[in-house]
Amino acid sequence: MSETLSTYNYKVVRQFAVMTVVWGIVGMLVGVIIAAQLVWPELNFGPWLSYGRLRPLHTNAVIFAFGGCALFATSYYVVQRTSHARLFAGGLAAFTFWGWQLVILLAALSLPLGFTTGKEYAELEWPIDILITVVWVSYAIVFFGTIVKRKVSHIYVANWFFGSMILTVAVLHLVNSAEIPVFAAGILTPKSYSAYAGVQDAMIQWWYGHNAVGFFLTAGFLGIMYYFVPKQAGRPIYSYRLSVVHFWALIFTYMWAGPHHLHYTALPDWTQSVGMLFSLILLAPSWGGMINGIMTLSGAWHKLRDDPILKFLITSLSFYGMSTFEGPMMSIKTVNALSHYTDWTIGHVHSGALGWVAMVTIGSLYYLLPRLYGKPEMHSIKLMTVHFWVATIGIVLYIASMWISGVMQGLMWRSGNADGTLAYSFVETVKATYPFYAIRLVGGLLFLSGMLIMAYNMFKTIAGGSTEDAPVLVPAGQHA
Amino acid sequence: MEIMYLLVPVSVVLVFLIGVVFWWSVRSGQFDDMEGPAYRILMDDDDAISGRSVEAKVKADAKRGTGAPQK
Amino acid sequence: MGQDNCYHCGLPVPAGLDLSVSIDGQPRVMCCIGCQAVTQAIVDNGLSDYYRNRDALPDSPREAVPTVLQGLKLYDHADFQKSFVRDFGEGEREASLIIEGITCAACIWLNEQQVAQLPGVIAVHINFATRRARVRWDERRIKLSDILAAIVAIGYRAYPYDAAMSEDLARKERRSALWRVFVAGFGMMQVMMYAIPVYLAGDGDMAPDIELLLRWASMLLTLPVILYSAAPFFRGAWRDLRRRRVGMDVPVALGVGAAFAASVWATLTASGEVYFDSVTMFVFFLLGGRFLEMTARQRAVSVTEALARLLPAFAARVAGYPLDQAQEQVMAAELAPGDVVLVRAGETIPADGLVIEGASCANESLLTGESAPVAKFPGAAVTGGALNVESPLFIRVEQVGEATRLSAIIRLMERAALEKPRLVELADRIAGRFILALLVIAAAVALAWCVIDPAKALWITVSVLVVTCPCALSLATPVALTVASGAMARAGLLVTHSHAIETLARATHFVFDKTGTLTRGHMQLLEVLPLGTVFDKPACLALAAAIEQSSEHPIGAALRAAAVGAGLPVLASVSNEPGSGMSALHQGKAVRVGRPDYVCALHGQPLPESARVFAASSDTVIALGSEAGWLALFRFGDEIRPQAVAMIAALRAAGRQIALLTGDAAPVAFKVARALAIDEVHAGISPQGKHEYVSRLQAGGAIVAMVGDGVNDAPVLAQAQVSVAMGGGSQLARTQADLVLLSENLEHLGRGFFVARRCLRIIRQNLLWSFAYNLVALPLAMAGFITPWMAGVGMSGSSLLVVLNSLRLQRVEGV
Repeated sequence: MSETLSTYNYKVVRQFAVMTVVWGIVGMLVGVIIAAQLVWPELNFGPWLSYGRLRPLHTNAVIFAFGGCALFATSYYVVQRTSHARLFAGGLAAFTFWGWQLVILLAALSLPLGFTTGKEYAELEWPIDILITVVWVSYAIVFFGTIVKRKVSHIYVANWFFGSMILTVAVLHLVNSAEIPVFAAGILTPKSYSAYAGVQDAMIQWWYGHNAVGFFLTAGFLGIMYYFVPKQAGRPIYSYRLSVVHFWALIFTYMWAGPHHLHYTALPDWTQSVGMLFSLILLAPSWGGMINGIMTLSGAWHKLRDDPILKFLITSLSFYGMSTFEGPMMSIKTVNALSHYTDWTIGHVHSGALGWVAMVTIGSLYYLLPRLYGKPEMHSIKLMTVHFWVATIGIVLYIASMWISGVMQGLMWRSGNADGTLAYSFVETVKATYPFYAIRLVGGLLFLSGMLIMAYNMFKTIAGGSTEDAPVLVPAGQHA
Repeated sequence: MEIMYLLVPVSVVLVFLIGVVFWWSVRSGQFDDMEGPAYRILMDDDDAISGRSVEAKVKADAKRGTGAPQK
Repeated sequence: MGQDNCYHCGLPVPAGLDLSVSIDGQPRVMCCIGCQAVTQAIVDNGLSDYYRNRDALPDSPREAVPTVLQGLKLYDHADFQKSFVRDFGEGEREASLIIEGITCAACIWLNEQQVAQLPGVIAVHINFATRRARVRWDERRIKLSDILAAIVAIGYRAYPYDAAMSEDLARKERRSALWRVFVAGFGMMQVMMYAIPVYLAGDGDMAPDIELLLRWASMLLTLPVILYSAAPFFRGAWRDLRRRRVGMDVPVALGVGAAFAASVWATLTASGEVYFDSVTMFVFFLLGGRFLEMTARQRAVSVTEALARLLPAFAARVAGYPLDQAQEQVMAAELAPGDVVLVRAGETIPADGLVIEGASCANESLLTGESAPVAKFPGAAVTGGALNVESPLFIRVEQVGEATRLSAIIRLMERAALEKPRLVELADRIAGRFILALLVIAAAVALAWCVIDPAKALWITVSVLVVTCPCALSLATPVALTVASGAMARAGLLVTHSHAIETLARATHFVFDKTGTLTRGHMQLLEVLPLGTVFDKPACLALAAAIEQSSEHPIGAALRAAAVGAGLPVLASVSNEPGSGMSALHQGKAVRVGRPDYVCALHGQPLPESARVFAASSDTVIALGSEAGWLALFRFGDEIRPQAVAMIAALRAAGRQIALLTGDAAPVAFKVARALAIDEVHAGISPQGKHEYVSRLQAGGAIVAMVGDGVNDAPVLAQAQVSVAMGGGSQLARTQADLVLLSENLEHLGRGFFVARRCLRIIRQNLLWSFAYNLVALPLAMAGFITPWMAGVGMSGSSLLVVLNSLRLQRVEGV
């Protein structure tokens, strides 16, 4: 092992990085398809490619395939570099890659086939859930094993975010996916029912759902931000102390915000109020983190002008700030009364998912890819800039159209006549949203084409690149 | 809301776990230096080995006595 | 950076110098051999990445490296290592070092790389925030001096860092206090999460079993807060009770304990009310207030700590001075009076002494609060712990160890810290009675409410106990005094008795001694009047100083002091005419300096008309002349300290009576008094007379602040209610004065007076606030308008206000 010890395990990082782009394209393509189905309902072909089955495929693909691979790639890279140690248990790391790809493939097959638990963001059936658990536990072993064998005493703050993401997602997944498989005709079927019933299930589901957003899509990607923003800017994070406070504050306040997804439901009133209160409190740590990230560039704003990677990263932070402001606002019950079940929610989710998660992922991948393939930089800087503008315009079109259509829907639904009847029938609101669905489709298409540009750029960069692993740098101050 | 019988204990246990982790991190000096780590990641030279090949770099490190395998 | 700046340190490259080092194939210019050596070492060790990563320039190494290296061997001395090296067995050792010259993050990387690559070094870690390094090495493979040499080679300097015991203790205290605050704060947040749903739920909205579940969760989370965070309160209360006293902790412990016990009972029996949120919140706020107070206290104490670390560990002794200038490095503790040491620029002076060769300035700001460097020339006294700023000095050691001014200052500060000020004692006594009354009232309230409404009796009693706890009252005085004496020490006014601040602020009469207090206390050249055409002012001065080169007369010293830095002409056959002056041969001609008639005797010419007025002044006038005629007249006198006018004016503006006492003759005294606009002057009085004068004032009800030089005024200083001594003298160690003006800068006295008054004002505000608060809060709590959590917030808020109000003293600027 002595010779492999002296290099970082870049292979698994490379695999995940490339698959991030691939699954990003797949997931967003499905998104574009279902957006198109909303504009042209004729596009629902058969039961397998119907909107109802493709929509969970879209969410699963972008969150767990695209986002998941991005988290694997970046966390494996960051934990190695900041720990000055090769990844622990290389075989297990390889297993996490192939296992995760298998999960994604099974999801891509089972969801269109109609196997679903019916729980949002946890639609996958129990055999896949078990596989997820195994892969995730392996991930935890690899990650924390590397932390344990680190050669510096300090654990960089990004690793704290990654670590908390791994642990919390494990707990969330285990609790929420507790389900009872169906025995039919004496054999075990891949179908199951939740271990919880009724409103209890809803409560657990949104405890999971919200914390998945909180830890998978926020804590994990904040880990990415805390490493790649300072690295690309060539400057230390604005305040390291603030970043540590940010971490602990986020950890301590996230857990209880979930019930805001269930305003005006059968959930007890007090639970909803608690959800609203803690969602509002969340604004503080979120903005602390955003300011910390953006201010890292203070005094070096000029770098933003011609560095597309920084453009991606800093724009992602702006979207993060925007959606973490929007979220608590929407959790206020009176605002929620208008926004719930409208397209506003879709717009909010995508300002977080495209603006924050995808942008920060793309930025960090552009940072990673040349380093992973022994190139000084990406094949084309120009194409990166093009990608940035295409993606940004796409997001703006997407969220603006959804805001307008969402607020419009909410207002139309609640407006009544003097005699107490509704002013609009449901189909009238559908008709009114039609043009905005078309604009949304254009926004989605733009974002997808940006990903295609990225894929081209990536393959050109990889071509002829070296796949030699970088030597493990012994940290300053540590003698062999 | 019987589900609270699950959620509340899970949360309480998590809180104590987080408390223990925090205690460990203070005790082990994770927060002793709140400036250095921000700079240290920047000193970690991860530029793709432009100009210099991996081999040369390993050799240079070995010469400095920093890249040698752990004993 | 232009082409002409040193690539390493950024200083301009002197013209004609051609030094360069090749870095990554590029030749880079260097400004000196030091920079060249350092850069070469960095490049040779493969560390040239440093130049890419740095964002600030390093200090210039200035001196060639080898001279520094000599001293390092000493660090290998086993006795010396005892104080800062930890032995881990099998030759493994660890030391803490302070690294000087770190300007940016790249420096840290560079040092870590440089040290880590040494064979035998096991680990090195540099803390960016404190610039301290921890090095662990194998003694069998490498010596500490080699490690230090490696650091010197790349242009930095490392010193062992001997963490003082007290500092270590303070850090431990801080850390454990911080932990208690954290556990309480964390517990409070978590308990809040389970308490808020209950508050939010409407009647019948929440099922009773869920509420009970939330109670259990709250109870579990409150446990660590009670058992760990609140432990000091319970311990303190128990200690007080055993001594049959009541202190601040008693009501706190009673309140917290009762509320917690009742809540636990309510949880176990599923009845009544729980107050877990109030308990945790109360403990958190209380601990937070105490933590702030502790921080303020430690910051004030840190001034003493900083002083104690001033003296360097080593000195360069020049045993054969002046014949043989070879130096040997010795430990500073080994120096003895009479030794001659060489102090290079940038080094700290190792002991009190006199300059015997060289001219430089010394930065004594840490010792005296005087920020401007003080000029040092042969004959000038230097103080151990001061920094030699400009150029090398040879110093004859006069005092070492415990006898130095630095030790005296530290002892005086410790003395003040040990005394408990009158005001604090008073506040403590009042608070003690207050608590006793409070306990009685609480018992009465409990009884009364048991009759009126038993369900409310408990929480109302708890509220009464908590809300009226006189923490603010007992904090009001000591925090303000501590902060004030810290602020005054930084301004060069040392508080050596604890009552000094209070009395200084209250003083109605300020009585000043003249010589050495309002005036500098020694002869000084005030004016030069050149008379001939041959020499201009500086030349006259240089000539006169040269003639007086070896004179021990005060006039000679004053001339030399005035001519410091000027090149003195060479003279022959210098002779002394006691009582008249001195004569010598300059370029073959006889020259004289001395009384005008003595000089006149040399050339026989009368004093020019233009010089008559000058010569007739009441000051001492000395003439310089040659065979050819008059050259210059010099006027000498004891100059009034420049800041005296403003300080006296400020005191008078504050409504203080000013008086001047002096043993000198009336004309001189009146001249000074006129200049300072002092009306009450008593000239020619004996020490006994001064004493009587002060007694007379006191008999009339005056509070007298006596300001004297501390040597001749001891009786009168002792008689005054508060005394201020000038701290420049060597008698510092024996001073009994309540305050010592270390900087001898009267402006600092004015500032100290201002701080003292401000401190007294703040103490009054604090006391007023805490009494007013209790007066309002107590009836409200007794009537049941204040719930326990409100009580917790109110009480800790009022303590916090007091601490924060006192901390304002830290930011006092100017008079």
